[in-house]
Amino acid sequence: MDFANLAAQLNAGTILPEGIVIVTLLVVLVGDLIIGRASGRWIPYVTIAGLLGAIGALYFQWDHSDSIAFLGSFNGDALSIVFRGVIALSAAVTTLITVRYVEQSGTPLAEFLVILMTATLGGMFLSGADELVMVFVSLETLSISSYLLTGYMKRDPRSNEAALKYLLIGAASSAIFLYGVSLLYGLSGGETRLSQITAAILSSTGDQSIGAVIALVFVIAGIAFKIAAVPFHQWTPDVYEGSPTPVVAFLSVGSKAAGFALAIRLLVNAFPTVSEQWHFVLTALALLSMVLGNVVALAQTSMKRMLAYSSIAQAGFVMIGLVIGTDAGYASMVFYLLVYLFMNLGGFACVILFTLRTGTDEISEYSGLYQKDPLLTLCLSLCLLSLGGIPPLAGFFGKIYLFWAGWQAGAYTLVLVGLFTSVISIYYYIRVVKMMVVKEPEEMSEAVKNYPPIRWNLSGMRPLQVGLVICLVATTFAGILSNPLFNLANSSVTRTQFLQTPIAAIARPVAQIESSADQL
Amino acid sequence: MPESTFGLRRYSENKIVNLADGVQLVSFLVLAAMMIGAAIGVVLLSNIVYSAFLLALVFISMSGMYILLNAGFVAAAQILIYVGAVNVLILFGIMLVNKRQDFVPLKNAWISQVATAGVCLGLFALLSTMVLATPWAISSLTPIGDEAIIEIGKHFFSDYLLPFELASILLLMALIGAIVLARRDYLPDEILGRDRPSEQPSALTLPERPRELISGGK
Amino acid sequence: MSPGIDLQASFIELLEGFGLTHGVAKAIWIPLPMLIIVGAVTVLALVSTWLERKVSAAAQQRIGPEYMGPFGLLVPVADVVKLLFKENISPVNTDPLLFAVAPLLVFIPIFLSFLIVPFGQNLVITDLNIGVFLWISLSSIAPIGLLMAGYSSNNKYSLLGGLRAAAQSISYEIPLALSVLAVVMMSNSLSTIEIVQQQADYGILSWNVWRQPIGFIIFWIAALAECERMPFDLPEAEEELVAGYQTEYSAVKFMLFYAGSYANLVLSALLVAVLYLGGWEFPIPVSLIAGWLGISESTPWLQVLTGSLGIVMTLFKAYLLLFVAILLRWTVPRVRIDQLLDLGWKFLLPVSLVNLLLTAGLKLAFPVAFGG
Repeated sequence: MDFANLAAQLNAGTILPEGIVIVTLLVVLVGDLIIGRASGRWIPYVTIAGLLGAIGALYFQWDHSDSIAFLGSFNGDALSIVFRGVIALSAAVTTLITVRYVEQSGTPLAEFLVILMTATLGGMFLSGADELVMVFVSLETLSISSYLLTGYMKRDPRSNEAALKYLLIGAASSAIFLYGVSLLYGLSGGETRLSQITAAILSSTGDQSIGAVIALVFVIAGIAFKIAAVPFHQWTPDVYEGSPTPVVAFLSVGSKAAGFALAIRLLVNAFPTVSEQWHFVLTALALLSMVLGNVVALAQTSMKRMLAYSSIAQAGFVMIGLVIGTDAGYASMVFYLLVYLFMNLGGFACVILFTLRTGTDEISEYSGLYQKDPLLTLCLSLCLLSLGGIPPLAGFFGKIYLFWAGWQAGAYTLVLVGLFTSVISIYYYIRVVKMMVVKEPEEMSEAVKNYPPIRWNLSGMRPLQVGLVICLVATTFAGILSNPLFNLANSSVTRTQFLQTPIAAIARPVAQIESSADQL
Repeated sequence: MPESTFGLRRYSENKIVNLADGVQLVSFLVLAAMMIGAAIGVVLLSNIVYSAFLLALVFISMSGMYILLNAGFVAAAQILIYVGAVNVLILFGIMLVNKRQDFVPLKNAWISQVATAGVCLGLFALLSTMVLATPWAISSLTPIGDEAIIEIGKHFFSDYLLPFELASILLLMALIGAIVLARRDYLPDEILGRDRPSEQPSALTLPERPRELISGGK
Repeated sequence: MSPGIDLQASFIELLEGFGLTHGVAKAIWIPLPMLIIVGAVTVLALVSTWLERKVSAAAQQRIGPEYMGPFGLLVPVADVVKLLFKENISPVNTDPLLFAVAPLLVFIPIFLSFLIVPFGQNLVITDLNIGVFLWISLSSIAPIGLLMAGYSSNNKYSLLGGLRAAAQSISYEIPLALSVLAVVMMSNSLSTIEIVQQQADYGILSWNVWRQPIGFIIFWIAALAECERMPFDLPEAEEELVAGYQTEYSAVKFMLFYAGSYANLVLSALLVAVLYLGGWEFPIPVSLIAGWLGISESTPWLQVLTGSLGIVMTLFKAYLLLFVAILLRWTVPRVRIDQLLDLGWKFLLPVSLVNLLLTAGLKLAFPVAFGG
C-alpha cells in the first residue's frame, strides 16, 4: 500500500472541523508561549473564531455522501455532524463566559482554553468514532481534559476535591467500559469496527449470549457515567459544586452531548442482538434519573448543586428519546440537546456573573436581585423557566417533542413519569425566580444589598455579556421559531444510514440463515 | 540470516517441540500463581508501599505471559511502560506524600469487608460462567512472533492512524495539564518590584503568590 | 558476509564424537553460554574497577594500587573476597525482605541485558528481534530496586538517594531511547546484530557515529546519567547524602550494588560501541584485507582470527569509552539536582526529538546513506 494510494483512501477531509480546532489549539498554545501574558487579550477571540470555523466546516460537510474516513475509524455522517456542532458550539459559548472568570481567579487563560479545546476535540471525535479503539482514545481525551479542567483552580481545595473525585470515579468507569469493549472485541473474534461487530458476533458466537449481555452492562456503566444517569451520578453534585463554573457549563452540555452520541452509535450498532436488554436497562436509568434528579434538586440550597441535579434530570428526559428508538425519538433527542445547550449555558452564564459580582452561589442570596440587576434576573428567569418547560420558551417545545415521540412509540410509563417530574422541576425552578423577582426591597439578601455597580467595560466582561444575550435570545425565540432546528434534527436522523437500516441489516442475515436452514 | 551460535533459537526449532509443552505449562502455572498471589497482595496488604511493589510483580508476571504467547515486543513494552514508568511514578507519589498515619480501625469493618468479598466473588463467578459458556471465536492464525513489530507499525499507519494521532494530542494536553497543576505561580516582575523593592530574592525561597483561596466558584 | 565460526555446532559435534546423543549434547550446551557470560561480565566489571583505581591515581599524579599482583591487578579480587567474608548487617528497623530484594532487583536486569550484546557475528547469547528494546525495558526495572533500597533502609539519606536515582533514571531514559530509536530507524531493525552489520560496509567510514553525531553524544550523556557516573552521581553524592541508597548496605548486598553499577557502566560502553562505533568491526573491513592478501574468507584460521579480532575490537572500543568515563569522573564537577533535571528535560529531550526528526528527513532524502 503506497503512500498516495493510502492518502486517497483516508478521506481525511472528513475531519476538517477537528483539524481547524487542532490548529487553533496550537496557535493559542504557541502564541501564548511566545507573547506571554499580553496574549490574554486576543486569545479568547482566536479560540471562538476557531470553534466557529469548525462549525462552518461542519456546515459544508452536510451534503457529503462519503462519510467513512480513515479506513473506518471515523464516520462523519449527519448525526455526528449535528453532535459535533453542538459540542463545538457549547465550547464556543463556554469560552465567552470563561474569560472574566479565569482572569478574576488569577489563573492563566491560555492553558485553560487549550485544555477546553482538547476536551472539545475529544467530544467531537467521540461523536463520529466508528471503531472501538477510536472510541476509547477519544473518550479518554475528553475525560482526561475534563479532569484537568475540574482541578484547574488549584488553590481552591474544593476544586482539588472535585478533580480527585472525578478522576477516581472516572478512571473506574473508564476501566469498566474498557472491559466491556474488550469483551466485545473477543466475542466478535477480533473485530473493532462498530458496523461489523454485530455480524461477526452473530457468525461466531450465535445470537443470544451471556457474554454480550455482560459487555452491554459494562459499556452502559461507562456511558451512563459520562451522561450522569442515576445510579452513576454520584460524582455530579460534588464535581459541579467544586469545579470552576464555566467547566461545569461545558461538562453539563458538551460532555453530555458527546456521551449521548456515543450511546446512540455504540448501542445501535454493536448491540442489536441484546436490543431488548439495553432498552430495558436504559428505561430504568431514565426513570431513576428523572425521579431522583428532580426530587433531590428540590432540597438544594446551592445554585450549582441544584443545577447539577437538574442536569441529571434533563439527561433522564433526553434518554426517553434514546430508549424509544424511533426516528422521531432520535430527532427529538437532537432537538432537545440543541435547545438545552442554550438554556443551560445561559443559566450557567448567569450563575457565573452573579458569582463574579457577589462571590456566592447560595440560592437564598439571590433574593431581590431584580432591583439591582434586571438583565441578569431576566436572563436567569427565562433560562430556568425554559429548563422547567414553561411555554412559550424553547424548553417547552423540546419537551413536548420528546413526550410526543415517546407517546407515539407507546412508552407511556416513561412519558407519564416525565410529565410528572417536569411538574416537580417547575417548582424548584420557579422558587429561584420568585426569590429574585417577588421579594420586597427590605427582604433583599446581604449579597444583593452590597451588589457592586454594573460595569460591562471591565476586561472580559463584554464577552460574558455577549454570551448572556445570545443564550437569552436563543432560549426565548428558539421555541417559537423552532422550525429550522426541527428540520435540522429530523434530517440529521433521516440522513444517517445506521439509524435507518439497523434492524433491516441485522434481520436480513438472520432471516437468510433461517431460510437457508429451512431449505436444507 | 545469522544464526545465533549460543542459540536458544536453533534449539527451539528442533527440540522445544517435545520439551516445550511441559516447560510452557510449568511456566504458565508459575506465572499465574505469581500474578494472582501478587495481585491479592496488592489489594489486601495494609502497607501501601508493599502494594506498590507487588503491583510491579504483577506487571512483570503479565509480561511473562506475553512472552509465553510469543509476543516479545508487547512483553518488553509492558515492562518498560508499566514497571518502568507507571509503577515508578506510583512509588514516587507514595514516597513523596506518605505521611505515616495510623488509622483508627472502624467498628464493624468486617461487615463491609464481607460484603466486598461477596460482591467480588459474585462478579468472579459471573465472569467465569460467561467465559466458560461463550463459544469463543478462537483465531486459527499462527502467531507472527518476531514479525509483530512490523505488523504493529503497519496498523498504526493505516487503519489505526486516527486513534494513533489523536493519542499525540491527548499526550500533549496531559503534558500541559500536568505542568499547569504542578508549577508554582510566579508573581510578575512589576508586582515583585513594587512589594519588596530593597529585598534581594534569595536563592532558596522562590517568589510565589501567597497561598490564599480564590473566591471564584462559591 | 561470512557466517564466521559456529561454536555451538562444533561443540555438539565434539560431544557426539564422545558417543553422546544429539539431544544430550545440546542439553549440556545450553547452560554453558550463560555461565560464560556471567563469568565474563564479572571479570569485565572487576577490570573496570581496577582501571578506575589506576586512572584516578594517574589523574591525581599518584601511582595507585601496586603491590597486590602485577600493577595491583589483584586488588579487585581482594575486594570481592573482603566483601564476601564480611558480616551481613541489617540495621535496626529496616524492612528485612525489601532490604534484601532491592540489590537483586538492581543487579539481575543488568546482567540479563548482556544477553543482547554481540561480540561477533555469532557471538551473542540470543539474537532477539527486539534486541536493544529489551535492554531499554530491562534497564527501566532498576529504579524500582533503587526506590526499594531507599525505602527499606530506614534512613533519610537513603530515601532521598533512592528518589533521586529514580527521578534521574526516568528522566534520562527518554533521550536515551529516542537516540537509540534514530539508530534503529537507520538500520531498520532492533536487533543488535543487524545494527552492527548495517555499519559494516565501508569500515570506519560507515560507522554510525558519523551519521548520528548528535545521537552519539546524547546517548553517551544519558548513559552516564543512567549509570550514575560522576557528573551525574547525585544519588550517591557523598557530601550531601553520605552514600545515597547504598548508605546502609554492607557485605554481599553492597557488593551487588557495586558490581551492578560497574557492570552497567561496561554494558553502556559496549552498547555505545555496538550502536555507534561499529561493534566488532575492525576499522578496515577484514574481508577487504583478506581480499588484498588473496586469502579465501572461508579459511579456518582466518575465521578464528576474525572471531577473536571481533571480541578484541568490541572490548577495545568499550574500554576506550570506559577510560573516557573515568577521566570525566575525575575531572568534571558534579551538577546540582535541578541542573541535572533541566539538562535532561529541557535540553536533551528536545534535542533528541529534533535528532529523530532530522534522521527521518535524511532517511527520506538520502536513502543510500541513511538506510532507506
